[in-house]
Amino acid sequence: MSRQASRFDSKKVNAEFLTLTYGALVTQMLRDFENVEDVNKQLERIGYNMGMRLIEDFLARTSAPRCLEMRETADRIQQAFRIYLNVQPTISNWSASSDEFSLVFETNPLTEFVELPQDLTNLRYSSILSGCIRGALEMVQLDVQCWFVQDQLKGDNVTELRIKFVRRLEDAIPAGED
Amino acid sequence: MSEDILFDFLHAEIVNYCLHDNNKENDFSALEYIGFNTGYRLIERLTRDAPRFKDELETMKFICTDFWTLIYKKQVDNLRTNNHGMYVVQDKAFRFLTRISTGAKQLEHAPKFVFFTCGLVRGALTNLGINSTVTAEVQTIPACKFHIEINRN
Amino acid sequence: MTIYHLYIFDKLGTMMYYAEWNRTKKSGVSREEEAKLTYGMLFSIKSFVSKISPHDPREGFLFYKTNRYALHYMETPSGLKFVLYTDTAALNVKELLQQLYSKIWVEYVVRDPLWSPGTPVTSELFQTKLDEFIKQSALYSIRNI
Repeated sequence: MSRQASRFDSKKVNAEFLTLTYGALVTQMLRDFENVEDVNKQLERIGYNMGMRLIEDFLARTSAPRCLEMRETADRIQQAFRIYLNVQPTISNWSASSDEFSLVFETNPLTEFVELPQDLTNLRYSSILSGCIRGALEMVQLDVQCWFVQDQLKGDNVTELRIKFVRRLEDAIPAGED
Repeated sequence: MSEDILFDFLHAEIVNYCLHDNNKENDFSALEYIGFNTGYRLIERLTRDAPRFKDELETMKFICTDFWTLIYKKQVDNLRTNNHGMYVVQDKAFRFLTRISTGAKQLEHAPKFVFFTCGLVRGALTNLGINSTVTAEVQTIPACKFHIEINRN
Repeated sequence: MTIYHLYIFDKLGTMMYYAEWNRTKKSGVSREEEAKLTYGMLFSIKSFVSKISPHDPREGFLFYKTNRYALHYMETPSGLKFVLYTDTAALNVKELLQQLYSKIWVEYVVRDPLWSPGTPVTSELFQTKLDEFIKQSALYSIRNI
């Protein structure tokens, strides 16, 4: 029926589809908000919502048990990036107390076709990633902070995402118990 | 499969952002525009090394078969034309509707999940030199019919 | 072997879903009350079991059995709790619950864009798929005594 279909690498097309759709969303938000900071917040929130759902797929897919320490968590996040975005960030720069680390990306699939104009240097284009990590970890009772330290869109050699453990959230106690 | 689920979640959040967050329950223009923008750029990447399509019918066939299969993971169930610039694509299990219940209440929400795709198809066609109007109708979840009308000036 | 009923709770103890198949006796209290009591009991068993365990309880509480029925428990790292009541002959329930989580819950609840996380599940599609899943499982067969 089709002479063209076999030409396409469907994995690549799907990755580009995601990248371009995300880019179109960012473009739309930049039209909707005057303040770039609001765009950052919206992107982060969207990531957070996605993370809350994505974690269930990840747990079901990998049958992973609950992590006992941050080093395990770091490995799982790395694995998730491999599963969902087909990239493998390097885990590095652990703090002395092992409660803070970096994910370093040689390439960031989200920014493959993106160049930031001068007036958008405050835009944290990939905020969806930090939101996603935060949302996913909150679902497994880990409260973390997550922010960008380096960003290739801003001229850095790599993109570096910093993750800091804040606290373990307690399981809910049923009413009447203590 | 794993990228698909990520995309489905992104799509659902885009729908929420465009409709609920901005209090524009019935304004699908932003959603359509995001689809348009995506389709326009995606088709450019897909076809830049390919020979030009010989005519409108060939272009339409490409969009409704190859392109559709790549994005929606299945072939369309039916593709028809009246030979006067009207094409109807029928997908009996449309990707963004397959996890939604079939009830009347859910049906009211169905339009939200088709507008991105209307834009996607329109954007792709625009880049290939075809000016069109794309609409969709959902009568029974998860089936969906897309109507593509070529605008000839 | 047979399956009686199923509870699904989220991490806050909200009853996300309840379904029954061959349950012939009611508890005499409302569904909500029963759910609350069930959740409270599980919470207590769970903390007690891990407290008195002579080893590090990696998996924690998995099931208990009376002479008439068994209760099987699976908790995901995200705090979702699947509670399945079966007869005492039921085998491999852990695998069944794991499958239920990945093939039914993730597919038809988590991936349903009309469901909001943390809210009880009302999807008929989920109900249908769950019912098919349970009825097709090796565990499900009505016992004539």
